[in-house]
Amino acid sequence: MSLQPQELDYLSKKIKRKPNDVETHIVAAEWSEHCSYKSSKKHLKILPMSGPRVIREKGFDSGVLDVGDGYVVTVHIESHNHPSAVEPYGGAATGVGGVIRDILSAGTRPIALFDGLRFGNIEKDSQARWLFKNAVTGIADYGNCLGIPTIGGEVEFDDCYTNYALVDVASIGFGKKERLIKNHADAGDLVVLLGGSTGRDGIGGAQFASDSLETEDRSAVQIPDPFIEKLIIEATLEARNEGCIKALKDLGGGGLSCAISETADTLGIGIELDVNRVHTRESDMSPREIMTSESQERMLVITDKKKLAKLESICKKFRVTCSVIGKVTSDKMMRVKNNNVVVASIPAEIVANAPLLDRPSKVPAYLKELQKKKEPTPVSDLSKTIMRLLSCPNIASKIWVYGQYDHEVGIRTVVKPGMDSAVLRLDNGKYLAAKIDGNPKQCYIDPKNGAIGCFEEACRNVVCTGATPIGMVDHLQFGNPENPEIFWTFLESLKGISEFSKYFDIPCVGGKVSLYNETPQGPIKPTPLIGVLGLIEKKPLHTQKSEQGDILILIGITKDELGGSEYYEYIHGFVGGKCPTVDFVESKRNMGAVIHIIENEWAKNVHDCSKGGLAIAVSELAMTSGIGCTVSLDNIQSSKLPDDKILFSESHSRYLLSVSKSNLDSVLGYLKTKKVNFGIIGKFEGKSIAFSKSKKVIAKLSVDKAHDKWFNSLKDLVLHG
Amino acid sequence: MFEVQVIIENKPGISDPEGATILNDLVLKGSYSSVKKIRAAKMLKFQINTTNKKAAEDTVRELCNELRIYNPMVSKVTFTVN
Repeated sequence: MSLQPQELDYLSKKIKRKPNDVETHIVAAEWSEHCSYKSSKKHLKILPMSGPRVIREKGFDSGVLDVGDGYVVTVHIESHNHPSAVEPYGGAATGVGGVIRDILSAGTRPIALFDGLRFGNIEKDSQARWLFKNAVTGIADYGNCLGIPTIGGEVEFDDCYTNYALVDVASIGFGKKERLIKNHADAGDLVVLLGGSTGRDGIGGAQFASDSLETEDRSAVQIPDPFIEKLIIEATLEARNEGCIKALKDLGGGGLSCAISETADTLGIGIELDVNRVHTRESDMSPREIMTSESQERMLVITDKKKLAKLESICKKFRVTCSVIGKVTSDKMMRVKNNNVVVASIPAEIVANAPLLDRPSKVPAYLKELQKKKEPTPVSDLSKTIMRLLSCPNIASKIWVYGQYDHEVGIRTVVKPGMDSAVLRLDNGKYLAAKIDGNPKQCYIDPKNGAIGCFEEACRNVVCTGATPIGMVDHLQFGNPENPEIFWTFLESLKGISEFSKYFDIPCVGGKVSLYNETPQGPIKPTPLIGVLGLIEKKPLHTQKSEQGDILILIGITKDELGGSEYYEYIHGFVGGKCPTVDFVESKRNMGAVIHIIENEWAKNVHDCSKGGLAIAVSELAMTSGIGCTVSLDNIQSSKLPDDKILFSESHSRYLLSVSKSNLDSVLGYLKTKKVNFGIIGKFEGKSIAFSKSKKVIAKLSVDKAHDKWFNSLKDLVLHG
Repeated sequence: MFEVQVIIENKPGISDPEGATILNDLVLKGSYSSVKKIRAAKMLKFQINTTNKKAAEDTVRELCNELRIYNPMVSKVTFTVN
């Protein structure tokens, strides 16, 4: 762990002397890409971050949204990619722990978790299967022990993640607005470290996360302890209620170095601490090890001297260890002592603000190559292709994954995982829908439109429950930013997200950037991940099974956009083609129409078209209702495409509606007045899913057989290789 | 026939919530204050048919590595042959 020579020069100039060893390590931890965002910070400013619901306070680690009636929702997203790639169980579990503490540090109770998981090709690669299995178990064990439901997420497999793993965790919190922690501190206040003991685990983790994974230096393994985490949650919330907390910060990457310098800098104070008073797991730890350890399950609290006794009694009650490690000063210095010897003393502002970089960017050469590639010829057997897609790991039911998560604990989950998005009941009678989405296959072909697509997909998913999007979090995951071509893909994705966010007035309330995601085979595909929160004022869509005679309506236009589709990549092994783009005007119109239809209870079920296209979306609707469906391609709004393109194009802004005959006129009347592009494409009947064109059947499969394939293939793959 | 015992435990520097819980919530509460540390471990006993002790240990070591019986990033393993 070290500073770059130019950073060392910069630091020496700033403090007008050479930093000592401990200081160098503290600064190196904080100035790592992981903590300082030195490559990305300048550019992230383009994201719109304010809105009528957004509450901003200094020092919040999570985004806060006002949901009315005196309540707030908080949200945060993090990843634990590098640790999970070497120890999937512990890495994924501690990732969950970290994001929960970010929610806690705003003074809200975590009420739900999401996971976005990405691995290599699990059909061929046993290492990918091992990573997948253990990461899922780690998440399940941690969340289930804590009593926080894991209510959704996504799983994707792609060769670009071979020998690697992307483990993204998002958490949602809920609380009263008046109970939010208003971070502040005055000279003389006490700095308390609360929670697990500090050990040698994860030393240099932030730095490690900012290096490529090619070295054998894999020391950043952390062991999860959900029971301590649970005690910390309860102790912290009680301390909040008793007014014992003036400021609160979670210890994550960079450990104490990061937490202390950032807190001091944000609050405009100085902090003096004594490493000797930190409760450690081993007796012989050096000051620099204590300052950079990333041991899990720790919180930093600033409390008033008068409240210390109360805080200590709360900690005692929950058997959470707490130690007073230092005090707040007025000199804005971060001072670290070892008994009476000062071992580090630097202005907090300097530690907390790394010199930002202007990285060069350049259009990647591979994009030109992709454009030259000729699109594959259509398959001959469409029925077989649909069946193969239904069992493809990226499309098959993820029941094996979410079946391991307790998704109902807390009794808020009114729409459970497995649908477009889960929905949580809030205490003020409203409902919250949330979903995370990514699509590296499309982002690789077109980083900007791919990122916009992920954003729209997440919006579509919450819209399908009847929710209006109110905020988003983004998680931008890329390879080594020192490579101008990779940095260009980062900038493009960011531009896309920002344009969509501005047009739709969905503020970005939080996010994370994870760079240096490199595998031994090279960089990962650009993997921006978007989480969207949607609010339902009245009630969510009450999904009903489609029955004999119900009508199927498709909203939206199907275009020649198969780049990055499962059909091209999984069936044809072809990377290239045109990435789907979003027409903002149409997207907004369709969203509004779907929400209106759900509010009026005109639809039995609403489902968006995404991976696998129309063919898969129709099959999913039919399979979950256990009834057949006959679809005619003639009524689909498209520009005269070949059959396979209509079935498998992954064009955005498309929704399938199952409507009973009695509500058909209301729906059609409304869609016509709003000038929405739509088609009545079929009806539910019989026991087979059939697609026809000019009255000729072009694909037909039995609902039961399709369901069996879709439902079981991922589980079979994991359990029986 | 030999018995190869494999003890799998977290590496010394890595925390061990299970051991710590047994220490704090059972042993110390049972007022055995002379106990200072407990580490939890898992033991696997392999009954194996080989010509000699060394072959028995080598085979078990190889299979533990190959089949990911433990994760070398996290765990320390000790082999004993009887």
